[in-house]
Amino acid sequence: MTQNEKAAAAKKRNHAIMITVLILLFLFFIMPFILVLINVFKDKADIVTSPLALIGAHGFTLKNFPEAMAKMDFFNVFKNSLIITICSTILTILVSAMTSFVIVRNGKWKMCTAVFALMVASMVIPFQVLMVPLVSVYGGIFGILNSRITLIFMHVGFSVSMATFMFHGAIHTNIPLELEEAALIDGCTRWQTFWKIVFPLLKPTIATVAIIDAMAFWNDYLLPSLVLTDKAIYTIPIATQQFYGTYSTDIGLVMAALVLAMLPILILYLFLQKYIVAGVTSGAVKG
Amino acid sequence: MKKSNFKKMLVLVLSFAMVLAFTACGGGGGGDEGGSGGSGDGKSITLFNSKSEIQEDFENLAKVYEEQTGVHVEVYYSQDTVSAHLATKYASKAPYTINMVDAKDIYSLGKQYGADMSDMAWVGDTDYAISVDDKVLGFPTCIECRGILYNEAAIKGALGEDFDPASIKTLDDFKAMCDKLVAAGMDAPTAILGPDWSLAAHYLQQVYEEREDPEAFVQSLYKGEADLMSDAKFNALMDTFDVLKEYNQFKTQGSNAEDELVHQAMSEGKDAFQFGGCWEWNDLLTYDYNGPVGIMPVPQNLEDDYTGKLVGGGAKYFYVDGSEYTSEADQEAGKAFLEWLASSDEGKTFVSDTCGMVSPFKSNTVPCTNDIGKVVKEYVDAGLLVPNYDYDPDDHYSKLGIEMKKYLDNACTREELAKAIQDYWASTTPVEH
Amino acid sequence: MKRNTLSYKVKQYLMFGGVGTALFCAVVIVPFIYGIYLTFTSWDGVSPNKPFVGIANYVAAFADHDYWLAMGRTVIYSVFSVVLINVLAFALAYLVTSGVKGQNFFRAGFFIPNLIGGIVLGYVWKFVFNRAFVAIGTAIAGHDVPSLLASPNGAMFCLILASVWQYAGYMMLIYVAGFMSVSDSLKEAAMIDGCTPSQAMRNVTIPLMRSSFVQCIFLSITRCFVVYDVNLSLTKGDPYGQSIMAAMHVYNTAFTYKNYGMGQAEALILFIVCAVIGITQVMVGKKGEVEA
Repeated sequence: MTQNEKAAAAKKRNHAIMITVLILLFLFFIMPFILVLINVFKDKADIVTSPLALIGAHGFTLKNFPEAMAKMDFFNVFKNSLIITICSTILTILVSAMTSFVIVRNGKWKMCTAVFALMVASMVIPFQVLMVPLVSVYGGIFGILNSRITLIFMHVGFSVSMATFMFHGAIHTNIPLELEEAALIDGCTRWQTFWKIVFPLLKPTIATVAIIDAMAFWNDYLLPSLVLTDKAIYTIPIATQQFYGTYSTDIGLVMAALVLAMLPILILYLFLQKYIVAGVTSGAVKG
Repeated sequence: MKKSNFKKMLVLVLSFAMVLAFTACGGGGGGDEGGSGGSGDGKSITLFNSKSEIQEDFENLAKVYEEQTGVHVEVYYSQDTVSAHLATKYASKAPYTINMVDAKDIYSLGKQYGADMSDMAWVGDTDYAISVDDKVLGFPTCIECRGILYNEAAIKGALGEDFDPASIKTLDDFKAMCDKLVAAGMDAPTAILGPDWSLAAHYLQQVYEEREDPEAFVQSLYKGEADLMSDAKFNALMDTFDVLKEYNQFKTQGSNAEDELVHQAMSEGKDAFQFGGCWEWNDLLTYDYNGPVGIMPVPQNLEDDYTGKLVGGGAKYFYVDGSEYTSEADQEAGKAFLEWLASSDEGKTFVSDTCGMVSPFKSNTVPCTNDIGKVVKEYVDAGLLVPNYDYDPDDHYSKLGIEMKKYLDNACTREELAKAIQDYWASTTPVEH
Repeated sequence: MKRNTLSYKVKQYLMFGGVGTALFCAVVIVPFIYGIYLTFTSWDGVSPNKPFVGIANYVAAFADHDYWLAMGRTVIYSVFSVVLINVLAFALAYLVTSGVKGQNFFRAGFFIPNLIGGIVLGYVWKFVFNRAFVAIGTAIAGHDVPSLLASPNGAMFCLILASVWQYAGYMMLIYVAGFMSVSDSLKEAAMIDGCTPSQAMRNVTIPLMRSSFVQCIFLSITRCFVVYDVNLSLTKGDPYGQSIMAAMHVYNTAFTYKNYGMGQAEALILFIVCAVIGITQVMVGKKGEVEA
């Protein structure tokens, strides 16, 4: 065997090992999801008795879906979740990218360091600590709860620190200062430089932040439950709460609601994949 | 080329966001008054329900009420802890008009915020209203009792003869019955629910309740004077607990046994006895119910005034918010709804028939659809109830729940359990009431 | 244009960071400061009176034996979880960016756990531990075996496993973005210069991904320190309260035991401990960051 053939064989073997490891890990990761899918077509008694059976003793049933949809007022809450998630995610990205840009590029100014440190520190505050003071201020003093706009602004306010943190790292390491300086020399203002040069280069991080935040907003229960009190503007997680009880939880309906709610996020993820994969600096430096 | 695509995308997404934001603005109803409190004119009020299993029925009842009176009642439920949820409602100055809480909360929340309902007609129709400082503040939703659930069909199936709960008077009788069931092929005829509320707030609680003067006994616990190991009631109840443990179907899992499996075993007759209460009815029905399931007092080898009686009383109390955040008109509307719930035919049918609860109101003669509730009703009518003791400290059930779990799992001896209970009480600030 | 005057800097800051900082302060800082005030009261959470008690709540918090036990447990849990989450997430990110067939499919799969939250996650894992594992154990041992969740160490193990499972896919996303942002030309240049792939990885890729590491480790530390949801839905503190983490203890003190001021004080202590650890880690990490 020549050197090359040996190397090729070794490469093939490595590839096979990698695939095997990936498949095993993959099974471990999606196992609970498979369990959800299996059980969503059963009634509660069967879920408790034989959660592993493909079809329960009471047969295959689709009744969990229409029942969950009717109880949740699905189309309405879906629309609310969509509006809130999209607006909050976009605002978070725009606002945080700008904030982190000014913080990174003025790194020597103490005030920027202080704001950044404050944001980083705030990420470890447990939400339960803030919830009563939060409603005291915005409900008790200002009286602006019970509106989707308030919720969107609160979502942005709570997630701006983490998104800024992520953009900070990306701008710091991956955006060459020379590019910006070149643009400035060409007569661009800072504002233009940011939108024309920096922001497009942040695509992979934008996609990551988008998916992480969209998911967090879409699934969040506690904050929306404090802010939204009118049933007409409920989101999906609040609307499913009546399936949960102290003495018993209607797990069939919970799973149906979960499956219904998961799809949009999965689609969003597959869509954003393209941007995460696209790569950045390579293209920019070459181009 | 790539860059311009990205820009187009950005513009598109941004304009989409703007449109959505405006839709949100228009359709969101804005921030009206900032709360879920009522409309202020008594035409629209809110109700907080903490029994998730009747949420849907309650919403339907509210529709009926609106058709009859024109008053809109919005029914809410929260999966968060009741006290945490209500804390946030009061913090935002938008409490619910009518709130369903546990009896002990009436002495704290109700005392601070509850509206006086002394002059309501329903007060004379029940023995279970809660009064604080001569004001009636708590409206009982139902009567709930604790005891040993038994599955008649399962016993009959195993022994071939009808089961008469009256034949089980003492622990010895109970043990003999268990042995008979084992001999007939039912391997493990009992089950115990593992959660702390069941073990501490329901089972252990009987130690305080089944005596002449529960208050005096609790005070002696606070002072560190009571000696449980020499207390007849404590030992009698723990003897019974030992027997339940001995025949426990879920012995290996102990306090970690899943509620669903315990309920399913009782519902389908895989075991014969389980400590519990009438609220478990809705749960039993979700399985292949093979009953009837009834309830009997916890058998003890101690003959006293409490033998043959169930422990229980009013449960799930409503109070009407009487604070400055709820207008007079809304308060009156809330009281009117409760009056209607107690006295109208629809209200009575809702409680006894639709929800299968035992009504605390004497004038309610609608038959209860709950098999366990039917038995409870007989005890209520015969006056065979031992009243609840409602003044436990807030951490009682969780702290002592831990100790009871240890005892259930044989992780501590009875002496250690007794000492842990005494230590807990002695180190706790007495609850004022 | 003068670029160094204070007013220029402030203007620049407000133009880019004004909205973000304002929202952040309004939603996080203002309630937080109000929360600090509440730690000096003996408020029960609902009462209209908030009696001022000075530092009594802090004294009580420092004397609260259960709280410090819970804190100790949280530290142990966090150490194990953070290490495992990051090792696994980095390995996953490496595997799914190495060009194997169907890597997008794998990425989506590893990401799925994040879509299942709260009570369903707990229910599914509870089933796995209480039923599936027990059934397997019983088959092997030939007699009934207790669930892993029934012993304190077992419960801790289950919590760590569930957390690793939940967050590894999440952190993988960040590592993937990190891998993608290291330009291929740099790697190629290193290879041309005679580096083996593993040397290129060690000397080029990993140093350039430093910010991803800083982010992921920080995020996993903070998530683990304030873990509540999984704790509640999977163990509820069982067995015998020996899996109660700090956040759950805080929640119980504030709401279940209606001792809001003290709960808030304990939360503040938790926050300070966590902030010190997290910020130290970020500062140390950022120092060595490679600038582009």
